[in-house]
Amino acid sequence: MTPNGAFAVGFVLIALAVSNPGPRGLALLVVLTLAFALIELRGAAAIALRRAAIVVLPLAAFMGLVWVGFVGEAPYQIASAAGGTRHAALAYVGGLCGRLFLIVAVAQLVVLRFRALTPLQLIRALALPASVKRVLVITLSLIATLRHAIDRAHIALIAAGTLTRAASLRNVVHGWRLVQAVWLSAVTIVLGRMRDKWPVENTVARLDRTLAGGEARLFAGADRIWLPIVLGAGIVILLADRIGGAF
Amino acid sequence: MARRELISGPNFSGRSGALMALLRDGALAPESFYIGPYSEAALSGLTSTVADEIDIYRARDRERPAKAAFAVLDIAALGRREPQTLSGGEQVLLALHCFSLSDYGALAIDTALEQLDRANRAAALDWLDPRQGSVETVALIDNRLPPALPGWHAIERAADAAAFACDPRQMVAALGRHDAPAIEIRGLSFGYRRGADIFRSVDLTLEGGTAYRLAGPNGAGKTTLLKLLVGVLAPNAGDLLLGGERYRPWRSGNRAIALATQNPDHQWCGATLRDDLARRRAAFARHASALSDARIATLTAALGVASLDAHLYELPLAARKRLSWYWPLAGALPWVMLDEPSLGQDMATRDRLAAAVGELTALGYGVLFVTHDDDFADRIPHRVLAIGGMQVKAM
Repeated sequence: MTPNGAFAVGFVLIALAVSNPGPRGLALLVVLTLAFALIELRGAAAIALRRAAIVVLPLAAFMGLVWVGFVGEAPYQIASAAGGTRHAALAYVGGLCGRLFLIVAVAQLVVLRFRALTPLQLIRALALPASVKRVLVITLSLIATLRHAIDRAHIALIAAGTLTRAASLRNVVHGWRLVQAVWLSAVTIVLGRMRDKWPVENTVARLDRTLAGGEARLFAGADRIWLPIVLGAGIVILLADRIGGAF
Repeated sequence: MARRELISGPNFSGRSGALMALLRDGALAPESFYIGPYSEAALSGLTSTVADEIDIYRARDRERPAKAAFAVLDIAALGRREPQTLSGGEQVLLALHCFSLSDYGALAIDTALEQLDRANRAAALDWLDPRQGSVETVALIDNRLPPALPGWHAIERAADAAAFACDPRQMVAALGRHDAPAIEIRGLSFGYRRGADIFRSVDLTLEGGTAYRLAGPNGAGKTTLLKLLVGVLAPNAGDLLLGGERYRPWRSGNRAIALATQNPDHQWCGATLRDDLARRRAAFARHASALSDARIATLTAALGVASLDAHLYELPLAARKRLSWYWPLAGALPWVMLDEPSLGQDMATRDRLAAAVGELTALGYGVLFVTHDDDFADRIPHRVLAIGGMQVKAM
């Protein structure tokens, strides 16, 4: 499978999850996603599911508390002013968080499918215009820079006694200083690179040359099996809850 | 044709500017590889793995004659690591490795080799030696080399007498006695990843009134130990005692150690020295010795900075490094920890700093410093703590 094929499959699966399928459609979508996960990733699928759970469970708990615990009705019941039930609220929260879980899991599955590749190799293998690839690399670079800046600011403020590593009231009071220090650090790091290193080395041109190297195949191998399956299943998923009793 | 430029002179004599002028004019080569003093100028910043960093610089043109490879780092083991998480020395070694695989015609190094341990520094200098023929064109700034070397063309910069006159001894001169409590490390274990311990069951006592030099090769965990003692990192197991009482800075906050980081920009908690100082005074109000405004004026004058409102990031790097000493040398906290304090500093300043650190120890303060600069260390009466085999042993 090529990265292009995996991203296309991932895109279709996420689009289906966003399209708000009914219960039957959602069940079919889950089966399709699990099939993709188990066939293409095998044991690594568990990592994607675990990461998705880490992202979605806190949100699910919060939404459950608000909608089921406090409100006690689903939003559509409030809109119709016909009175509602906690069961409906639970179904609403479950459906929404289930779809969100699916979206995060699919994104993780696609990336993990190519865990043997480095980020640069993965981007290079995508059949995209050079400018888009460059934007992707620089976006990743900015994320890494921000993480580095957070690390720097953490060191500074903990050593200076302003923050603590563990959760504390001090961190709440002085958290804004961390934000200030992070931005100051990030700007300094980026300026340092752009002023000294990049102009001398022509570093960004090197990046372009690296991204242009190698062959980026559009679709090949298992892509030609998965894409028709996912597109065909997509039509079935969209129609599943509209054709009463057909499934 | 091989060319070697060795740019020497004191701090603020315009060495870095002269190096940049050589690079920007294309006097060395149409394109040069640049290794600056800290990670922002040693690595490309475009990659999130070591393997990708190498990939960006690797020569594509097979016709071009290859340079002799500089392969000190275990690239196979580090391939998946984020370049920014490597130690300062490892980042310099990675940059040298990248250059050796590239098709750049020239290499420019601004004090970066000072971050290397003795063996790696010797390997790097040997690789750059004109007699080896490994690298064609090099321009180098290095405070630990003599101004003239065989086979190198010397460019000597004259001192600017007015700029940042710095004498750290003045900072320490007015301090009184301060008996630092002992720091006891009991059964300390730590690793960034599960199954990859850097320290395992370390037991060690650091006595006040003593200077300790933390020694070990690049990437051994010297800075990591400092971060554990200050509370930036939490150990996986073990405890600290300060003056015989349990001390957990990672939970309750640092209240005993003034740290100067290797890269000075890792320690500012404000945009100006005034902001930085105000925050430190507020944070340590209950624990630190009083630091009067008059004393602060003395301190900054001793470091050659006229105004507390100077924007830290607009000062030259060597000046920022000097300012990174002001909090440790202010004597507000009983323990002083210095990570590569002499980095990028000319010999005169380095010697004054060593004298100041020695005087601080004589006053009863505890000092722990990390340096690969043997000349600097030899000027301070100290004990050596060797890191190796997941242990820290007093020698």
